Parts: sequence; structure tokens; C-alpha cells
Amino acid sequence: MNAIEKKLIQLKKENRLGLIAHAVLGYPNMEKSLEIINSLISNGSDFLELQIPFSDPVADGETIMKACEVALKSGMNTDEAFELVGNLRRAVNVPILLMAYYNTIFRYGIKRFCKKAKDLRVSGIIVPDIPPEEEIAEKFITTSLEYDIYPIRVVSPSSSINRLEINARFARGFVYCISHFGVTGTKTVVDDRLTRYLQRVKQIMKLPVAVGFGLSKAEQIEALKGVADIVIVGSAIIKNYNEGGIKQVSSFIKSLKESTMGKGYI
Amino acid sequence: MIFDFHTKYDGDGKGHFGEYGGRFAPEMLIPALEELEAAYKNAKKDKKFEQEFLELLHSFAGRPTPLTFAKNLTKKLNGAKIYFKNEGLNITGAHKITHCLGQALLAKKMDKKRIIAETGAGQHGVAAATVAAKFGFSCTVYMGEVDVARQRPNVFWMQQLGAEVIPVKFGSRTLKDAVNAALKDWITNVESTHYLLGSTVGPHPFPTINRDFQSVVGMEVKEQIKKSEGRLPDYLIACVGGGSNAIGLFYRFLNDGKVKMIGVEAGGRGVEKIGDHATRFYGGETGVVEGYKSVFLQDEYGNLALTHSVSAGLDYPGIGPQLAYLKEQGRADFTYATDKEVLDAFKLLAKTEGIICALESAHAVAGAIKLVPTLSKDKIVVVNLSGRGDKDIFIVAEALKDKEWRDFIRSKVYEY
Ligand SMILES: Cc1ncc(COP(=O)(O)O)c(C=O)c1O
Repeated sequence: MNAIEKKLIQLKKENRLGLIAHAVLGYPNMEKSLEIINSLISNGSDFLELQIPFSDPVADGETIMKACEVALKSGMNTDEAFELVGNLRRAVNVPILLMAYYNTIFRYGIKRFCKKAKDLRVSGIIVPDIPPEEEIAEKFITTSLEYDIYPIRVVSPSSSINRLEINARFARGFVYCISHFGVTGTKTVVDDRLTRYLQRVKQIMKLPVAVGFGLSKAEQIEALKGVADIVIVGSAIIKNYNEGGIKQVSSFIKSLKESTMGKGYI
Repeated sequence: MIFDFHTKYDGDGKGHFGEYGGRFAPEMLIPALEELEAAYKNAKKDKKFEQEFLELLHSFAGRPTPLTFAKNLTKKLNGAKIYFKNEGLNITGAHKITHCLGQALLAKKMDKKRIIAETGAGQHGVAAATVAAKFGFSCTVYMGEVDVARQRPNVFWMQQLGAEVIPVKFGSRTLKDAVNAALKDWITNVESTHYLLGSTVGPHPFPTINRDFQSVVGMEVKEQIKKSEGRLPDYLIACVGGGSNAIGLFYRFLNDGKVKMIGVEAGGRGVEKIGDHATRFYGGETGVVEGYKSVFLQDEYGNLALTHSVSAGLDYPGIGPQLAYLKEQGRADFTYATDKEVLDAFKLLAKTEGIICALESAHAVAGAIKLVPTLSKDKIVVVNLSGRGDKDIFIVAEALKDKEWRDFIRSKVYEY
């Protein structure tokens, strides 16, 4: 069974929201990156979303974009990223989701990428810029499934019912729901519109929903209880690191984790 | 109907040109791209839309632009006959206004109140700001910080036209980053905003709709050359950034198998080293960036490479998917011109023909200068002068180390 499924069962049993903590691999450098990720794990992150830095990350806001630039400058690349994941793997049992823009995977070779990821027990891949329509020629989703790596579909509030249905055919594990119109790291308000949108996704895609983009506060997470199954936190972690280093990241994740407890997962 | 034209090099229903093209966009942009595609599909069949478009081209943009026989240069190069398609005579000084007018009409149909655009040389930005003023859209233009500095006059004009110009301060701070910034804006404001993309790049349907709008260039040339020569040309030459002026000239000739087509890329300081040039077909590889699959200058991990060109409009690591396909199919050939060859071509054109062309267009002239002497005198070559050179006054003056200009700038600085 894919580790994502196991985790989802556990969340349901414990009746709480899942927490996905995001990090840019190699930010600010290899060593520190490993430290950051370890603190995400030790403070209770349920999943890790590890982003392979890319030169032109269209869906990312300033914080993650800058982090990608710094990581690339410090020598991060796909091989190094796998190396880092390998180092983590020795210590960790949390499901790992890789996040990459499609060109990173395409250039590495889809099969080679999936095989490598599988060897490192990666459970899912999040690729924001490959819609199902391109799958016919690219065979990325098919290939990742051959290796039992879940292709996590990303949808947005602008996704029509038709779009959700198209994505549903390829979705596994959970659905990554972008919370609002915007890039990563921009503010999110939990309101009716968001609630209705998440209900729509759940109904059509029949999978747990994870909400991300612009989450940074315990209040937001509190408000998502009963509405979402999983919360994803990205830019806010980097901001906390930039402000107060690993220590601040630790206490930030700890407090987020606390707010995920109790009557979460629906 | 002018948009009812087909070639065997057209995309499939999803904008794939062979292996290239497609719609590799984040899910949040898919609805907007579908909306645009639907609006265009309807407009294409709509006589009124066509009339409105052609009327604007005629009464506002200044079309048709002339096709000029270059008597002096032909004599000097002593080979094939050279004709220049002078797109610099469009309002705003380049071919870009053509797809801007087309897209503005679509934006109006889609009831958008705001447009955004990216720009390199500033020509597309000025054209976008112009249609925004004319149609009453609010307008934001993204421009890399490097380009803001080197194409300052166009920044000023965009602002005078009422547009907000936002310098892009990340990445290489040139055209590719401006595209990125515009995409991020679009993701954020997708409901109210139309992204007026400025070349035949990006996710489907942009490469197709911009090609169709720009194809009036080739349509005009076809009529004009038949009138003056009674036959089709043997060669078409155009510079290639994203490819809008090149495919605009080529498209209507694709079915005419005898007409050869040559795209000229930016050779910068020379094509040996990545980072020194923007010649995708020397050192570029297949990739998927900014919403489309094509040939990109990139490293082995897929990160876009830095590029260099004396001309901001060609300083871009990707190329329009249909051009990549035409190259693969052997229907179009590609060459490059270095910065130095480009400046020489610029000077020669000015002195022999009395035309001051954009540095982008001077790449096409440089390509012609190399080709024409190798051809016999009964051959005909049409060169696309995609824009005029006014915007490049600072770059050219600096490159030519013009002392009087430097003194003038000094005195201006002193006055301020
Ligand atoms: C005068 C001129 N020619 C050519 C180009 C390159 O664009 P494209 O290849 O889309 O024609 C530009 C772009 O800024 C331009 O301003």
C-alpha cells in the first residue's frame, strides 16, 4: 500500500487534519536544508512536500521563487536533490511528496526520475504544470503509477466541474486544492466561496482534499476543520526560517501541528 | 474569410505542432485559456470580427505596410533582388500592433477590463499600451529590469499611454522573467484580466492566434510581390525572437513549396558558449517551460540558461513551437547573426536604403547580406523589417561609440 494511503487511514483514525510541510530542497544550502527538513519532521509534519528548485517557477510567489534562486546558486540540481532525499530517508518514515515543474522531470527523463524516486521510497509527485490533456503524449502520470508513485492533481477555485472530472480520472491519494486566485505565499481567507469549492472537489473527485497556498496561521487552520482534510504550509515556513532560523521553524510547525488536532479529517 | 487558411504544418486541436506546443499550464489558467480559445474560434468565423480587425489595421495601424524594392543594396550585394517589408511603418513602430489589435478585440468580446503584457524591447508593451488606451482597458506591462534600462524610451512611451510598467527584478531580469511575472499576475487576476501575450509562444492557443493575426503580413507581401514581380519570392527572411514576425511572414507561403524560409536568431557574442547568445537551434534542447514545449536554451537539469543579444526583443531562451516544428520538418531553415554583424547590417541599411530599422530586424538584414550574394540575379528575397530603430538610439549610439551623442547626453545630465 502506498504510504500516502496508510497516512490517510491514520489521520482518519486520529480524527485530525493532516499537515504537509513544504521545503525547497537545497535552500539555503544542502546542509541547512537537511536541518530544516528534519525539524519539520520532528515537530510533527505528517507529510513532506519537497520542491526541486527550478529557474522559472510560474506558480510560485516571491518567497519560494527567491528560495529556488538561492538553492540553485548554491549548487542544487535534480541529482543533488535525490541525494538529499536519500540522506533524509535513512532517518525518516514520513511520506515524501516531491514537487517539481515538469521540465525538471522531462529533462531528467520521466522513467529515470520515477525509478530514482521509487528507490528513495517517494510516495507522490506534485507537478503544477502538466494538465491531463498532455498526458496522452507525455505518459508522465502513467509512468509514475507504474512505479506506485501517486501523481497528485492540483486544482483551483477556477476549475469547472468539467475540469474536476477530467482531473478525477488521474487523481490518487488526495487532491491538492489551491485555496484562492494567486501564487504561493499570498494571503488566503477561509470563506464561503472556499468552503463551497472544497465541497465541490470532494464530491466530484471523491478523494480527501488538501488546501494550500497562503496558509500561515493557526486561525486559518482552525477554520478549515471540517472543511478540509489536510493543510499545506509552504512559504510561511521559509519566511519563518528567514526571520528566526531553525528555532523559529520548529516552534512554528509545533504550533501549527497543535492547531490540527481534534475533529479534523472529514 | 482571412482566418480560414490551413497548411499541413498547423497544430492539432490542442495546439501541438508535432512534438512541440501544447498547453502545459497550471490548472488555474486552464479555464482562461479555454475561454480565449472559444472566443477565438467564434471570432474566426465571424465576418464582423474580421471586418473590425481589418478596419483597425487599415485606419489605425497604417496597414498595408509597404514592400520596398531595395535598389541600392541589391546593386551593392550583386546577387538576388532584395525587397523589404517595412513593418516599422505601423503605428508604434513594429509588427506587434497587429496581434495586439486582434487580441484587444477578443478581450472586448470576453468582457475583460484589464490587460497585462510582457515586453522585451518594449515594442509589444507599447503596442499593448496603445490598444489599451484605444479600447479603454487598464494596462500593466511587465518588463525585465535589464530591458527597462536598455529600452528606456519605450518605458516612457508606455507610461504616457497610460500603462503601468513594472520592472521585473528576479531571474535574469529580461524577457523570460517578464513572461513569468505576467503569468503570475494572470494567475492572481484571471477573472478580470486578459493576458495579451506578445509572441507566438506560451500555452495553446497563443501560438496559433498570434500567428493568425500576424499572417496578414505574409498576405500583404503575397499581393504586393505579385504586383511588382508577377510571381512569388524565392526566399523569405525574418528575425526570430518568439517568432511572431517570422511566422507572420511565412505562414501564407507554407503551402508554396518553392518558397524557402529562413529565420535568423540572435548570435550575440558568438554561439560557442551558452550564455553568450540566444540561438536556440545551436545548443538548445527540447523542454517544457512557460506553458509550451519547444526548443529552449537550458542546462542539463532543465533550468533556463542566461541569454545575450544586443537586441532585447530576441534575448529569449525559447522559440515558438510552430517554428521548431517547421525546422524539424525541414520547411524552414535557421541561421544566426552576431551582435557585430547586426550593427554592420544596421549601418549598411541606413546608408544604402534610408531605413533605420530595429536591432531585432537588423538580424534579418544581416542574414540577407550573407545569403544574397550567393544567389543568382533572377532570384527574389523578401526581408521582414519587423520594426523601426527609434527605440534603439541609446544602444546604437553607445555601440558605435558616437562622441557627439555622448557629449549630448553629458550636457543633458548636466542640465538636470
Ligand atoms: C521590432 C521587433 N522585431 C522582432 C521582435 C521579436 O519578436 P518576434 O520573434 O515575436 O517577432 C521584437 C520583439 O520585441 C521586436 O520588437
